[in-house]
Amino acid sequence: MTPVPPPPPSRPPAPPPPTSFGGPSEPGARIVERGFQRYEGPRAGVPQAIRSVTWQSIRSTLGLGRPARHKIFPVLAVAIAYVPAIAFVGLAVLVGDLLDPSEVADYASYYGFISAAILLFAGLVAPEVLVGDRRNGMLAMYLSTPLSRGTYLAAKAVAVMLTLALVTLGPPLLLLVGYTFENVGPDGPGEWLKALLRIVVSAFAISGALSAVSMAASSLTDRRAFASIGVVLLALASPAVASALVDGAELSPNWRLIDIFSMPFELVYRIYGEPGNFPELSTVSVVAVNLAWTVGGLVVVAWRYSRLVVAR
Amino acid sequence: MSRMVDASTLDPWDAVAVSPIIETTGLVMEFPSTRALDHLDLRVPPGVTGLVGANGAGKTTLISLILGLLEPSSGSIRVLGLDPTVDGPALRAMIGYGPERNVLPDDMVAYDFVRHFAQIRGLPRDEARSRASDSLYLVGLGEERFRALGTMSTGQRQRVKLAQAIAADPRLIVLDEPTDGLDPVQRDDMLGIIVDVNRNFGIDVMLSSHVLEEVERICDHVVALDAGRLVAQGSLADLAGILGGVEVELIDLADRPGSIDAVERRLADRGLSVGRSDLSLSVSGATDDELFDAVVATVAEAGARIGTLGRRRRTLDDVFTGDIVDADRSGVRQ
Repeated sequence: MTPVPPPPPSRPPAPPPPTSFGGPSEPGARIVERGFQRYEGPRAGVPQAIRSVTWQSIRSTLGLGRPARHKIFPVLAVAIAYVPAIAFVGLAVLVGDLLDPSEVADYASYYGFISAAILLFAGLVAPEVLVGDRRNGMLAMYLSTPLSRGTYLAAKAVAVMLTLALVTLGPPLLLLVGYTFENVGPDGPGEWLKALLRIVVSAFAISGALSAVSMAASSLTDRRAFASIGVVLLALASPAVASALVDGAELSPNWRLIDIFSMPFELVYRIYGEPGNFPELSTVSVVAVNLAWTVGGLVVVAWRYSRLVVAR
Repeated sequence: MSRMVDASTLDPWDAVAVSPIIETTGLVMEFPSTRALDHLDLRVPPGVTGLVGANGAGKTTLISLILGLLEPSSGSIRVLGLDPTVDGPALRAMIGYGPERNVLPDDMVAYDFVRHFAQIRGLPRDEARSRASDSLYLVGLGEERFRALGTMSTGQRQRVKLAQAIAADPRLIVLDEPTDGLDPVQRDDMLGIIVDVNRNFGIDVMLSSHVLEEVERICDHVVALDAGRLVAQGSLADLAGILGGVEVELIDLADRPGSIDAVERRLADRGLSVGRSDLSLSVSGATDDELFDAVVATVAEAGARIGTLGRRRRTLDDVFTGDIVDADRSGVRQ
């Protein structure tokens, strides 16, 4: 066996340099030129690798640390999602005294103002997070690290969820905080926490379903544009098909459940205990179909990546 | 001297004590349309190892198996004492990998890229930051570390790939064609850095290349593949270098036909072993000094003329082509 040479001896401490004023430096101060050397310290495991990939994916999707052209679409989508919330809070600030709290704090219907922005964002985020790695070979780079396919996908799924949460969670939270400061929010700490819990659950329910569908589409094609267009077309076509089947062909109202665009937002109404836009559907079936889209999407992603031959 | 250690009793980060660092037994990798590796039996000791072979020889498939990106169809593989198919995450934390393809994201800053992969390979955040800078300085990109990767030259991007491979201080780095696309000066620089990484920091290196000359320059050991089969493996000293005997290349003189035949015959008459390949004669059977004297005298007697005369050498190219005029040497060729 070739013995591993010991790390090169560290340089002796340099004498304290003079300050720029020619006087003595601070006691013990010295310039350290460390350079590359062996690392003997602690090492983190796979959880840190997942966090690092998640954070990097979020940064990349939002265009952080990238040229300005990569920031345009995320900024637009986020702006569209927040503008109504800012307007509502502004309204509360200006005429808050005239508002009845029960009239303004409608967090469930808020998504009606921003559903298009959420959909477009969902169509953008997952393809950006997943497709590029497969196209440019970064997937093989990631899988040459402690990450496995499963942990890599987990990191990416969390990244998509958290990025989508920017538009599904942030605006209702802003509403809650704004209304609370203007005294038109939930009445009392208990109600406030209940509202917060509903906001968080609703946001992640929407993010989960749309993330899974968007990731599934992104796993089936190596072109970002195709994946994005596929997600948007699916979301736009499914309400039309559902409407044609229920309203046109007069089939069972349960055919509404194939409406992938509306069902996540319908679920939000049910979380708030409201009948929603499709009161003929049972809450159980709405929950079940959202769960099915979420799990089904993730199963497609897992199946696709398990069959992917990654070399180099 | 090799010291065999039971890897199962070691912390993965002590597995470097296991020799060989890569070992395969009957390794086969089949794809639906082709057999990429065919019953490979390898023992790769620590040091700098060159994985050589033409395109399609199976180099990349072997690297993918080392990294656990593929599962072998049959046979076994152990890297740093671990099985990549079983201990993949623990093993890959100890391996730095520099791919052949240009995978670097154009928009990303070199420093961010190196830091990101250092963190993924387990370094704490602060340590990853400082080591990203240190490794970029080591490969000569200290002043360029905050440039976007898309604005860098091919040579700089190759250096970034090397920097990210070493930043987390792995036990082994696997570099796929690290000099691909480099000009001769850049190639020299890159090979020098790779040698430094091994000699100064004790990081074992496996590099694949189809340029035999650069493997001969820096590698301690060689694994040669051809069409998925092992052509040769062993130390460079065993596979290539100076052999016993001398080699003389004669000039074919139009006015002295048969002079080369005469030299060959006269040398054999002196009791020496003579091999011939076209105009070259390989002579052995005495000390080198005696052989030089005998060749010069015989050529003069036969009225022939010497083109070149020197000790017999074997290059990796000879190993591949089997072109060496050497009947008496049984070696490491498989």
